[in-house]
Parts: sequence; C-alpha cells; structure tokens
Amino acid sequence: MSAKRAWVTGIIGLLCCSLSLVACVPEPSAPEESAAESTETTESTEAFTVGAIPDQDAEKLQRLYTRLAEYLTTELGVPVEYKPVTDYTAAVTAFKVGDLDLVWFGGLTGVQARLQVEGAEAIAQRDIDAQFHSVFIANASSNLSEISDIAELAQLKGRSFTFGSESSTSGRLMPQYFLQQAGISLSDFKGEAGFAGNHDAILKLVEAGTYEAGALNEQVWNTRLEEGAIDTNKVKVIWRTPAYYDYHWVINPAVEDQYGEGFSEKVQAALLNLDPANPEHQEILELFGAEKFVETQNGNYAQIEQIAREIGKIQ
Amino acid sequence: MRFLGQSATAKDISPRSPRSIFSTERLIWLLLTTAAIAGSLFLAGYGQRSLINWGGWPQFWQFVQASLHPELDPVFLRLMGKATLITLAYAVCGTGLSLSLGLLAGILASAVWWRTLWPRWANLAQPAWLTVRAALSIPRAIHELIWGLFFLSILGLDPLVAVLAIAVPFSAIVAKVFSEILDETPSEPLQALVNTGTPPLSAFLYGLLPQALPNLLSYSFYRFECSLRSAAVLGVIGAGGLGYQILLSLQSLRYEELWTGFYALILLNGAVDTWSGLLRRKMGFTSRLDLSTGQPRNPAAQAIARDSASSRVEHPSTAYWVRFSLAGIACAIPLCFWSLRLDWTHLWSDRTGMLLRDILTQAQPGIVTIEQVRSLADLTAQTLAMSVLAMVMAGLGGVVFSFLAAQTFWLPGGILYPIGQHQRGSVGAWSLLGTSRLVLLVSRAVPTPIWALVFLYILFPGILPGAIALGLHNLGILGRLMAEVNENLEDEPVRSLRSLGASGLQTILYGFLPQNLPRFTAYSLYRWEVCLRETVIVGLVGAGGLGRLIAEQLSSFDYGGLVVTLSVFIGLTFVADLISAAMRRAVR
Repeated sequence: MSAKRAWVTGIIGLLCCSLSLVACVPEPSAPEESAAESTETTESTEAFTVGAIPDQDAEKLQRLYTRLAEYLTTELGVPVEYKPVTDYTAAVTAFKVGDLDLVWFGGLTGVQARLQVEGAEAIAQRDIDAQFHSVFIANASSNLSEISDIAELAQLKGRSFTFGSESSTSGRLMPQYFLQQAGISLSDFKGEAGFAGNHDAILKLVEAGTYEAGALNEQVWNTRLEEGAIDTNKVKVIWRTPAYYDYHWVINPAVEDQYGEGFSEKVQAALLNLDPANPEHQEILELFGAEKFVETQNGNYAQIEQIAREIGKIQ
Repeated sequence: MRFLGQSATAKDISPRSPRSIFSTERLIWLLLTTAAIAGSLFLAGYGQRSLINWGGWPQFWQFVQASLHPELDPVFLRLMGKATLITLAYAVCGTGLSLSLGLLAGILASAVWWRTLWPRWANLAQPAWLTVRAALSIPRAIHELIWGLFFLSILGLDPLVAVLAIAVPFSAIVAKVFSEILDETPSEPLQALVNTGTPPLSAFLYGLLPQALPNLLSYSFYRFECSLRSAAVLGVIGAGGLGYQILLSLQSLRYEELWTGFYALILLNGAVDTWSGLLRRKMGFTSRLDLSTGQPRNPAAQAIARDSASSRVEHPSTAYWVRFSLAGIACAIPLCFWSLRLDWTHLWSDRTGMLLRDILTQAQPGIVTIEQVRSLADLTAQTLAMSVLAMVMAGLGGVVFSFLAAQTFWLPGGILYPIGQHQRGSVGAWSLLGTSRLVLLVSRAVPTPIWALVFLYILFPGILPGAIALGLHNLGILGRLMAEVNENLEDEPVRSLRSLGASGLQTILYGFLPQNLPRFTAYSLYRWEVCLRETVIVGLVGAGGLGRLIAEQLSSFDYGGLVVTLSVFIGLTFVADLISAAMRRAVR
C-alpha cells in the first residue's frame, strides 16, 4: 500500500467514525425495546430499583444483590433491579432524581436524601443500627491512652487524625460531633484532618502510623479483629462512642403512585420478614451484616440531622 | 498566541539565528521555575518535619505483595472480563464523540480558519477567535469526575453520564490541540489555492486539512489511550466497568482483587498502546502527540520518514493489517454505542430540563467572606505546589526513562550498543527495555487515587503523597511520549558523535538532550496542565488542596460553594495555560 493509499484509508476511517456517530443518534430506542430486560418487564411496569452504597464486604455485593433482587421480586410481584453505585453523593443524587427507589443509606446520607425528596421514608434498619457505635483508635507509638470520659478526647489536640469518607456517619459525622463536645475542632489537629475514604483505610493508615489516631465504624473494627487482619501491637481502641442511629433503608414516595398504594409497607414487610433461620434469607442478611431488619422511622434521625446542620454537612 | 500577525510557518521555516542557550528570557524562566519548586517543597513540609513514615512499610508491602497473587476465582474473572469490555466501550464512545466535537471546535478555534474564511472581517474575527478559545478553557479545566457528577445530577443513572463526562472535557482538549496543529501546518498550499480564486471553504478542506491529517490522526490515537485511563476512573458514578469493580474492592481494601483489576487495566492499556503505536508506524505517522515547540516541522524530514515508513508498508500483509485495523475501528464505534444502549433523547427530556433548572438555582454562589478568600488562597497554593512537584517528578523521571525505554539505544544496532559486539549482550538490553516499559505501563495503568492511598502508607500526610501519586502516573505517560521523541530523532549527528568516540553519557548529554530538550519541556508543561486538573481526584481521596474542598462541598450538596471553588480552579488552569505557553515559547 502506498503512502497515498494509507491516507485515503485514514480519511475514510475518520469519515466512518463521524458517520457512525451521526447514524447512532436516532438508533438507540430500537435496541432498547428488543433488549433482554423487556422480556422480564411487563409492558406497563418499570422495574423497582434498589441501590446500596457498599460500606464493607463489597466483594459479595454483586453476587448477593441478585439474591436480594430475586427475593424482592417474588415478595412484591414487580420486577426489581439492582443498580450499582459506589459513591454516597452519587447515591443521594440518584435517589433524588428518582432513579433509585429504595436505597440502603448511612445515617447522614439518608437524612440528606430525605431532605431532597419530600415524603421519603426511613422504613427499616438492622438490629444493630439503633445502637450503633464508632471506635476511636490510636497507633501504639502515639502513646495515646485509653479514655473513659469524653472530655479526655482533648488529648487528641496537636495529634494527626483521620476520618473516613466525608459523608460517613460513623467514620466522620459522629466522631467529629463527639470531638466538638470535647472542645476539639478540626483545626486543632496536627496538619489537616485526613479523609481516608473508607473504614478499612482508616484502620490501615493508623496501623501504619501515618496518622496517630482515627475513628471508624465499630462493626468494621470487630469484623477485622475476628479475621485477624489487625496488628493489635500497633493499633488499639482508645474509646467507644455513645450509641446513635445509623444505616437504614429509605424509600421514595413516588413508588406509591407507580406500584399502588401501600407499596412502601409491602417493601417494609418484605425486609422485616427476612428470616435468619432460612438459609437463603440468611445469605442476604449476612450481606448487610445484620441478624435481622427491624422497623425504623424518620424521627430516629433527628439528632443526626441537627448535628449535620451544625457541622455544615446539611446546608 | 498568534493571530493575524506574522504567520507562524514563514518564520519557522527560515533558519533561525543561533541564540545563546541562556537568553535573558530563559534565565528568568529558569529562576522562576526554581523558585516555584523551592516554594512547593516548602509547602510540602520539606526540611521542617519528617516526611517518610518508616512504620508504614509493612502496609505498603502488603499491597505490593498482593501483586503476586491476584484474585483468580473464575466467577470473579468473568466479572472482570465483562467490566473490561464495558470500560473499553466507554472509552471508544467517549473518544469518538470527543474527536468529532473536537474537530469542529478545533477548526473554529484555529486562527487559520478565521483568517481564510473571513479575511476582510479581521476586526470581528479576532474577538470571535478569542471567545472560542476562552470558552474552550472552561470545560477543559474541570475534571471528568466532576463532569460525571454534574451529568449524574441532571441525567440520573444513565450510561450517557460516563460518555459525556469523558466527551465534554476531552473535546475541549482535542479542540485546543487540533487548532494548534492546524495553525502550525504550513499554509502555503492553502494560500496558493485562495489566491487562485478557490472558494475559501474548499481551499481550507483541500489545501490544509489533508496536510494536517497525519498529526490529527496520531493525536486521535493518543486521545483514545487517555480516554481509556479516564474511563477506568469513572466507575464511581455508577458507570460500571473496571473503575466500578476497582472501587468496590477498594472500599474494603481487597488488594488481591484490586490487582486483578490492575492487571486487566495493564493488559488493556498495553494492548491499546501497542496497537496504536504499530498502526501509526505502519501508516507513517511517528509521534503520538506532536506538540508545538516552534521547531520547524521539517517537511523534508517528514517526507523521508514517511517514505521510509511507506516502503516498509509495501509488504502486503502489513497493508492488510492497516486496513483490517481501520475496518475494525469503523465497526467498533457503532458497536460500542449500540452496546451501551445510549438514549440520546434523555438529553432533551423534560426531566433533564427540570433537574438542570434545579441545579442551576441551587448553584447560586453566596457572598464570599474574607476568611473564605484566605482559605481558598491557601488551598490554591497547595494545589499549585502539588501540581508543580508532580510535573517536575514526571518530567525528570520521564527524561531518564525516555532513554531506557527507547528502542534505538541499547538494542543491537542501537546508538549506544557497543560497536563490534555480538548478539550476546542483547538479552540484557532487551530485558532493560522490557523492564523500563513495564514500569511505565504499570505506573500509568494504576489510577492515581490508588497510588495516593498507597503512598500515604509510607509518607506522612500532606501534599507529598498526592504529588508523588500524580507524578508517578504522569511519569508513565511522559516516559513513553519522550521515548518516542528519542526514537524519532534523526540519528545521523548522534551516530557520528558516537563513532568519533563519545561515551554513552556524552552522546546523551551532547547529542540527544540539546536537540530534544525543547520537546521534553513542552511535553512536561503540557502534562502540568493535566496534573493540575488531576489534583482534584487525589483531593477526592483526601490528599489536600482545592480537591479536598471540592470533595467536602460535593458531599454537602453545597453547589453554591462548589461554583466558587470551581471558578478558582478554572482561573488557576487559565493562568497555568498562559505560563506554560510563555515558557514553551521561551525554550524554543
């Protein structure tokens, strides 16, 4: 092929690209109808969409979420679809625009989501969520000692400290609140407070000594401790926070219009009916680290909302 | 930025008067650069506190060791395989869209277009040209991830989000580079056509575009590689693909799973890079990104390169290969668009309009207090310092790797291959080449936020972990671009230097560096702009700077504050753009 031919081919290639782009514009509606999804979707019913922000054990998520979707499909009699989202902000936004009907939120993100969607309801939580705790941890070489009273958190002044993700309840909001009660603001730390992104990263970064101390979800700490994944010579718990409400399921009120009145209650009942004695149910419960789901209501998160306003996470 | 004045090409083709290496202008820039680096090191805490956290090596090693036993469970592998295809599809669609839009915008942003089509309206054409250029700098300054979150909030969970998140900033980048390529393409044929009465539009299409095409196409391939890396970061917003899988594994720090994801990225990146490199060589285009250095694009040399390339192309099987590849591209694009099931009607649906109005009303910035200004200034300094350190690291490292990873040096027949030695030494040479290329590939395939977290184990918090993460990722990209520059250098002068008895080091110092340094500097400066944008994603993992503030504001749904921060960011990028352009002019 001569150089000239190569050019011609090149130009044709480029043309094809732009042509195919143009050609694509009107096309997508066609394959969508013929797509596999429509076979399980009856013409009038759009799928009920469920989402969750993976906080831990995310590797099970993909597999087990199909179980949850299947379970809800049989219980509710409507097609259920799981949509993957990995980011708190993205999940709240997707819930707000109506692309997620039922979401497993953290304490703070649940409040944020409800504030953006009028009539949204917190319907269920795990047995442990009514009494949830964070733990403050410290690197052994920091010489920070175990404390019994919140006022003693003052010893963290001048130390380096890391939270988890910005909108985590157990890895940021409540720890910051308790620190504030002990008279410590974010500017009292050595350097800037860290935002490690997730609970496991907090644990590892304090274990490594990058930060002298940090605060994380107690459940993650306990799980990792059982797995033997923590070097207890290097990192220890110095304080367990008082209890607060955390993770919960929030449902969009629009589902009542779409799937009929009382649908929210049906969803709630389906979640509460998950029975740990049933091995299939047990698998789903385990995904959430729950013994079982219990009822909850919006009022339970008033404290979270108030703290979030103080700290500026809700404007 | 030149417009109607002296046309670039006329000046560049005439032999330049030899200029002292250290002109006053260069000295000033050298001093400023040194000051900027010193300032950045100061902000990073250098000399004021310990920076390395020796206690974190075990955690660091855990990460490194996991590379030896990635998760290979068949179910997981199938999941990753599918994710890889999705990522590829996003990259293809993002590239296709950004090239088409970028070509249009690039033509509008080129001085030569306005000059040719509106020769009599120079007074109006210049403001129009400047407006287009300024308008393009806004989408360019904002990172894909932020665009992604924006599109998410008006389109919801839709595959369009990821495609647009890549296409919007990238088409602005493409437009900028394309316009520069067009402006630097010799315009004599165009002028000749115009002067003989050809309608300006036809003259533009036939007199300029075909000449610029090789550079445009080369850059397009490079852009595809960039889209691929970008698509791998976008998993966060529910786009699916490798980015999503990697983020899932990152949430609980499953290193073994993470490495499976990295290997998929490494394979994908490696395959695409190799394929695009081969294709470009077979078609006779040699460089991925032919940045303007003001050096004459010597038409004779290019013709020679092209001739020698085409003589290689003569081989029938390679001709088929090129045709096959192009046919592949032509099929892949519609296929990818189809497989993602993009529904463009969502763009103008009522819901989108409503949500857009919603977000615009929420995004009214409030009054900025003095305290806020002060904190913004601090964060801007941090961001700037992080990007400067990253650029220096990537630039210097890139120069070193450009010699290690170039094919024309140590291999048999290469410039530094000991004369008269037999094939025996070539095993070492090949493994050196392979290792350095692998290092570059791994550095650029692993997403920056992951590097940031890993370096945070062995460094104390501050801007340094972020800077190193950015530096390493960009080193992977720069090293390869620079190696290509070395490979493409006409080697006669260097070979004669060598045969006159210059040592290897002398050959590099006196043969290569003086010739290639302007281009190396141009690449590094170009990368600086990229580093600046990318500080946002290391900020999202908490490495400081404006990115940290953006993360906080995003998670508080503080759109008013976000607008202020992003404006600062756009301003910063704009200034960096000007500085980099001035510096590139100075090193010519």
